Amino acid sequence: MKARLILGLAAGAGLGILYAFLLAPLVVVVLASLSGGEVLAFPPTGFSLKWFAKFFGHESFRNALWLSLQVAVTSTVVVAVVATMAALFQRGLSRNLAGPFRTLLLMPLLMPEILTAIGLLFFLYQIGLGNTYLGLQIGHVVITLPFAFLSITSALDQVDPALEEASASLGAGYGRTTLKVMLPLIKPGIITGGLFTFIVSFDMFAMSFLLKTVGGNTLPLALFDYLKYDFDPTAAAAATVSILFALAVVALVEKLVGLRRAF
Amino acid sequence: MTARPWRLAILGAPALFLLVVFFVLPYGEIVMMSFRTPSSSAPYGDGVTLANYARMFADGHYLGILAETVAVGASITAICLLISFPIALHLSNVGDRWHTLFYACVVSPLLVGVLVRNFGWMIILSFNGPINQILLALGLIDRPVRLLFTVEVVVLALVHVFIPFMVLPITTALRNIPPSLYEASRSLGAGRFATFWRVTLPLSFPGVQSGVILVFVLAISAYVTPVLLGGQFVVLMPTVIVQQLIAAFAWPFGAVLAMILTLSTLTCVLVFAFATRGLARRAAIGRTP
Repeated sequence: MKARLILGLAAGAGLGILYAFLLAPLVVVVLASLSGGEVLAFPPTGFSLKWFAKFFGHESFRNALWLSLQVAVTSTVVVAVVATMAALFQRGLSRNLAGPFRTLLLMPLLMPEILTAIGLLFFLYQIGLGNTYLGLQIGHVVITLPFAFLSITSALDQVDPALEEASASLGAGYGRTTLKVMLPLIKPGIITGGLFTFIVSFDMFAMSFLLKTVGGNTLPLALFDYLKYDFDPTAAAAATVSILFALAVVALVEKLVGLRRAF
Repeated sequence: MTARPWRLAILGAPALFLLVVFFVLPYGEIVMMSFRTPSSSAPYGDGVTLANYARMFADGHYLGILAETVAVGASITAICLLISFPIALHLSNVGDRWHTLFYACVVSPLLVGVLVRNFGWMIILSFNGPINQILLALGLIDRPVRLLFTVEVVVLALVHVFIPFMVLPITTALRNIPPSLYEASRSLGAGRFATFWRVTLPLSFPGVQSGVILVFVLAISAYVTPVLLGGQFVVLMPTVIVQQLIAAFAWPFGAVLAMILTLSTLTCVLVFAFATRGLARRAAIGRTP
């Protein structure tokens, strides 16, 4: 009995260490950004919000944050619409066409982002969109499309076909059924997919790095540039801002859909 | 209820257009680019040549980097598997009340960019960071040591980044094992260890297989972590490719390196899938009721 207790405690401690390992870098970044001291150190000395003031006062960080928000919001809107249409399309396809279509849509998730970015770098240059905002935006949409598509199709799979039939037998056509019955039913999937799109786009690195416009940094790129020369809590504040966005997304999913249904 | 074909086509058109034009064609462009002639005035020239491939194979330097990249990717995958299995085991057994919390612990790092997570390690491992302080306090070292910019740190940080990708498929596989098999194993006299070894482990293999493939592919193509935490001391394939493309503007040669990396990754994945096909088949048989 005693041996079993010790074994249980050891297993618990081991698991505790593993979970701590998962969360440690995030906790350290947040705490370091609240430091009252002058250097980036952990544990931080004192408490202040001055590094956040410095972050928002830093012009290149401010511009980068603005560009990131712009790209991420545009991706979210475009991807939510395109992925919803694609999910409805897949539902209407016969079984032997739906499979290949789904595989094609999920490909950007299965291929390494850096390779997709390299292909787009070559291709966009040839069609005259090299290093343009539009090119960057297209790259973000291609990478995030599968995330939204996955969550919308899984919502769509749970819709009872009887509801569609009921709508049809009451005289509604395909368009009306889709708008009045299907869309409200899959709204949670669209919201979750949209929020994931936002955060994946907001954090995207490799794609932005290869396709960025001249002088147009997104927040991850600005942080990367900053870390090359400086190592102070302003960088921690920049990183904390993006952690806060992730937390906001999780909170929104929980509030609007419920985390349990989202995963 | 089905839509009229043209209506359905309108629904599918935007996604198909986006993926064919901005995903399929660009990959074709990598292949094309690898056969183009280099140029000193533009990213690439007009001619067609095999010289880029010849240059790559003639120069042992790039093959060496490729071998190192594959080795680093394999060790990241192995360590990731060792760490992720216990987490997945816990996650698949934990009661409903706590499930969301632990699940969030595993998934939440995914929602934070790779760069931010790497930066956390930079703070922890920096010259006056907590690890150096602890080592100093314990008297194991007498002045701070350089921990960053080593291949070990790159491996550590990438293992951290990829754990969720390993945990999630294994958890799914473990949850799919019918509880009746555990009961059968116990009633036939097997202890906890024997049950784990002969039931849990073999039946979790489909999850392990997809986790291993996923993490290996991601690890081989990771760019930002080796650059940030390895600096000039850790040179892996993605770094070299990006250097060729961005700094040297040698697009055809960069494309050749990207092709070689892709083909080697594909070969490794196929060899792994082929070598473990017996295990996968066994798990499939065990699953049929």
